[in-house]
Amino acid sequence: MLLPAIWMAAIVYACEIAILSIGFTLTYLTAKIPNFAHGTYAGYGIYVNYTMSKIFGLNPYLSFPVAFFLGGGIGVTVYLLVIGVLTRMGGGAIVLTISTIAIQIFLTAILYIYAFWLRGVYHTYTLQFILKARDFQLMGMPGIFYVALSICFIAVIVLHYFLTKTRLGVSMRAVAEDPELASVLGINVNRTQLFSWFLTGGLAALAGAMYPMWFQSMPGSGGLIITSIMAGSLLGGMENVYGAIVGGFGVGLSEILLTNQLQDIFGIWVGEYRPLIPMFFLIAVLLIQPRGLQGAYDWLTKSKRGMELLAKLGIRLE
Amino acid sequence: MLGVIGSSVAAITGMNRLVVDIAMYFGLFVIVAMALNFQYGNAGIPNFGCAVQVIVGGFTVSGLTLRLAYWLVEKAGIQLLPYQTAYDWLYNSQLNVVTTNSFLKSHPLVGIALLLFSLAVAMVLGAAIGWLISVPAIRLRATYLMITLITMADASQIFGRNIPYICGGTLGIWIPNVFAWYPGDRGVITAVVTLAIGLVCFFIFRTMLNSPYGRLMRAIRENEITCQSVGKNVVGIRRNILMFASAITAIPGVMTAYYYSYVVDAMYQRAYWTYWSWLMLILGGPGNNAGTFLGCALVIAMRRIIIVYKWFFDKILFFPISYFEQILLGVLLIAVMIFRPDGLIPEKLLYIPGVNYRRLVSEEVKVDWRTAPKMRHAGRRRRFSLKFWKR
Repeated sequence: MLLPAIWMAAIVYACEIAILSIGFTLTYLTAKIPNFAHGTYAGYGIYVNYTMSKIFGLNPYLSFPVAFFLGGGIGVTVYLLVIGVLTRMGGGAIVLTISTIAIQIFLTAILYIYAFWLRGVYHTYTLQFILKARDFQLMGMPGIFYVALSICFIAVIVLHYFLTKTRLGVSMRAVAEDPELASVLGINVNRTQLFSWFLTGGLAALAGAMYPMWFQSMPGSGGLIITSIMAGSLLGGMENVYGAIVGGFGVGLSEILLTNQLQDIFGIWVGEYRPLIPMFFLIAVLLIQPRGLQGAYDWLTKSKRGMELLAKLGIRLE
Repeated sequence: MLGVIGSSVAAITGMNRLVVDIAMYFGLFVIVAMALNFQYGNAGIPNFGCAVQVIVGGFTVSGLTLRLAYWLVEKAGIQLLPYQTAYDWLYNSQLNVVTTNSFLKSHPLVGIALLLFSLAVAMVLGAAIGWLISVPAIRLRATYLMITLITMADASQIFGRNIPYICGGTLGIWIPNVFAWYPGDRGVITAVVTLAIGLVCFFIFRTMLNSPYGRLMRAIRENEITCQSVGKNVVGIRRNILMFASAITAIPGVMTAYYYSYVVDAMYQRAYWTYWSWLMLILGGPGNNAGTFLGCALVIAMRRIIIVYKWFFDKILFFPISYFEQILLGVLLIAVMIFRPDGLIPEKLLYIPGVNYRRLVSEEVKVDWRTAPKMRHAGRRRRFSLKFWKR
């Protein structure tokens, strides 16, 4: 063991939250709504992994691409059947957000029914499980540690390349800035939106497929981490993908490490209040600086008082 | 209106348990849905924190009224089992409540006073929560506010689950029966009282909506900047609306506690109180109370019948019927939003006694603010004006 177990758990969790926050921020940028169903896509990833590894006896890592495409399919279906229709009808942000809450309830219920069906057919306990035992070991550490970190890095690099170098990525950023102006320039807004929903759904289900390799999972656990995802995205500023990575990592790490530290100081009962940590981040960010870390960075580098503060700390920006 | 009278008559007879149940839940949810209609339908404030206010009502009963009842019983000279520490508070709860009930049976005025006390305190605390919500509501965007409020509902539930002094933690706590003086079924009298409160709330809301204040609310909903430009304090009005509606929303929490004689945090889930109330509002059509009544009655009847006949469905299906209920919630919500954006009963023009609308407005132009199109014809008009300008 190179690292203590709590650090590994924190890093794996932070990777998942970071990938989910990227998707959440992308949806917020292109569709201008917080997608409450984003965490539930991760639940589908969890069950793809469970079905392939436990029921069919395959390597759990084989299920990752399947989860990616299934999540993408769900995202596209959601956009085609609900979000796109409501947007064309002219529904405002509130109507669209309510519809994502409805989608979240619907998808979670479908997942529960699937779990009950699996239990009835294969006679295994499908409602709470952990797939740690199916993982491989490398240098005394579980494989998911390397896989999660590398997936996170690859996702960031590929997304950076995609958003800055390819035509589709640049048009996606244009749609995020101003859909009407983008359509004037000849960008097919509908197709771009469709691709963005595919990408976000796929990334969310990929992060979900990693979840049962370290943490106890159930059909509802995808919906439970939505608070952490929203906190991570808001901490990053909801303005670009890079902020979401930093914010998601920060919230994911602090949720586990801070709970652990507080348990050492105050006693074991603090563990019950773990869900309050992302909520604290969320409300603190919204009340202090609604633009999150991005806003704080801009304040530091652009405003006079921020520059003075930096000079006092001995940091000089070129 | 008719629904309230009809179901209260049915509740008084008390012959059918299901009817009482439906009447009780109709009374509870119609108050929440009417308050939501007041906020979202008429003032345009998307309050997704109903569960916070309802949970505050429940915590008032378990945390404050219960202690007051114990104190009154001890003052009257009846010995209670110790209830000061967390352990005693939980494990002597049932026996203490039995003693309190026998005391309340011989003192009906104390029971009514306890009920009124809990309602008053819950309304004050609910208004305080409304004020607390209005602080970020003024600063934040609507979608950010929704995120914050949904989070707050979860947070209050976590506090209730882990602090036994509030509502007994995971085990829950028993509540004395304030209707112990009523000789018949406790459920019937609770349902009747809840429906009566709902009726009073309906008349209060109707009067407010037909007053100049209600017209001001709708004006803010339609165009905030216009209202500001004529000198109305939009922020203050929004805060008042949120505080008033939050105070009303706390009442169902109190009545739920008395209906079950029991409080546990899981009774006040956000999925239960926030989402179903929003479904009722959107199904019936936001903006008018008749639609809220219809949506509430339909949804409650459907849900209670599904729950009561759960044993029948569980024999046929391989999964618990509650998940089917959730599917129904999701599908209904989306279908109503796509196929009937105005709800079952669309909003009508406001009725003001003594004002002839036909004379005021020559043609009935109804701007639908929820599905307002994005200036589709603006381009055509602009082209025309451009030509005019060139010429």
